[in-house]
Amino acid sequence: MVDDNALRAWFAKEVLPFERDLMGFIARHSRERDDVIDIRQESYERALTGARAGLPASARRYVFTVARNVLIDRARRARVVSFEQIADLDSILVDDGTRSPDHQAEARDELRRALAGLEQLPPRCREVVRLRRVEGLSIRETAERLGVGLHTVERQLTLGLRALVDYMHGGELRIDRSPQRKPHEQRAKR
Amino acid sequence: MTRAGDIEHTAAGWLVRREQPDWSGSDEAALAKWLDESMAHKAAFWRLEIGWEASERLAATRTPVLQRPRPRPRPMVYAMAVAASLLLVCLLGAGALWVRHRQSPELVQAATSVGALKRVDLVDGSRITLNTGSAVRASVAGGDRQVWLDRGEAFFDVSHDQRRPFTVFAGDRKVTVLGTRFSIRRDGDTTIVTVEHGRVRVEDSAASDDQRAAVISAGDVAVARGTSILLAKRSDQWVEDSLSWREGILTFDQVTLSDAAREFNRYNKRQIRIADPRTGAIRIGGSFVARDIDAFARLLRTGFGLRVAVDGDTITIIS
Repeated sequence: MVDDNALRAWFAKEVLPFERDLMGFIARHSRERDDVIDIRQESYERALTGARAGLPASARRYVFTVARNVLIDRARRARVVSFEQIADLDSILVDDGTRSPDHQAEARDELRRALAGLEQLPPRCREVVRLRRVEGLSIRETAERLGVGLHTVERQLTLGLRALVDYMHGGELRIDRSPQRKPHEQRAKR
Repeated sequence: MTRAGDIEHTAAGWLVRREQPDWSGSDEAALAKWLDESMAHKAAFWRLEIGWEASERLAATRTPVLQRPRPRPRPMVYAMAVAASLLLVCLLGAGALWVRHRQSPELVQAATSVGALKRVDLVDGSRITLNTGSAVRASVAGGDRQVWLDRGEAFFDVSHDQRRPFTVFAGDRKVTVLGTRFSIRRDGDTTIVTVEHGRVRVEDSAASDDQRAAVISAGDVAVARGTSILLAKRSDQWVEDSLSWREGILTFDQVTLSDAAREFNRYNKRQIRIADPRTGAIRIGGSFVARDIDAFARLLRTGFGLRVAVDGDTITIIS
């Protein structure tokens, strides 16, 4: 049994660096943005639950396989999905995991990415996150400085944190549309 | 909102509140309980926590302009104001120290000479390990636990007491403990904070009106100098190695001979001098007894074929 510390470390080092690719993969096979986030979350949940029994040799291959299974399960549950889509999913080849995350590049990238992510936030949200992250102000201090309520600051910070983390894990969901498009992917565009 | 969205929102709320000054032990317990409820909670929380930690580097982008938004007084007036406030701080500081001296038996003072290592037990159960050539004062009277690292390096193993904050002042830095085990080293105008376990908050000592802080956690190293704080993420092994001085051991991993010599010189009266900068750039690794500078010099001679000359207390690495 893998303990939580080891599990979290594995998640941080071996799984999250691929989030951008994973999100692209999921987005190519689902319709709505909300679905993408649900599928990502469910994939991580299942991947972590499975990895508790023993960490897999290739995290990338493992997580993509888990995500593929989540996609198939969902497609089977959803009645409106055509058989064609399930057939498509069944034939997805999960890539072999020869690529490994470039940890050093990741580290160098972090600051650049964090700054870019900060820039993407709406102005008020950006200011709240900046005061917390850059200036180190607490919620109370931020509320005083901006002359707004504690609740507002907490809400903005929560939203900003989520958006910034999305960015840290691979950008603003810029879906990579590779040349070999399939009909249902066109629908997923929205 | 979707199910995943709900969970993520809750997880983000936990993360935001955990960084607030009023975060308590019962909050911590409630968070642990929520995390244990389901792997879905852990997945969402860890993902956010890891991404949020990665954005911690933003703290390094602070600029003096951002820090001091107030208009600056003219230089001369400013200098006088600084001088006056420094004097005031000195007087107040001396007064406060004197009062503490007189009134509180809990004021502990400890210092080590070169090469010595000392453990100081505080009445609250916290332990300080003092490295070579270091000095601390600690006051655990009343509701506060305060330590001043006057020079050198110390490792702190802080006993948990959420009602009494534990604060270390190191020059112009203030480190507030949110977790448990960490070390602080002062080196000229640079303060280096290494966290082995838990989390600490690093900020300017003077930051009361306009608080700016970096919260760093296990495996992090914060290097504070002037108005900037640089953060680096290190492996557990790196942190462990950098703290091996507590056993009187110096551990190097591919550091330059110059840096290694500088480390040895902190622990010994006998000093290593490197005559040739090219020799100083040689990289070495390994574990050594900090006080056995002669053994180190012998190893350089036999292991690296370097010429070593000893003259009194000076060991010169010639080439």
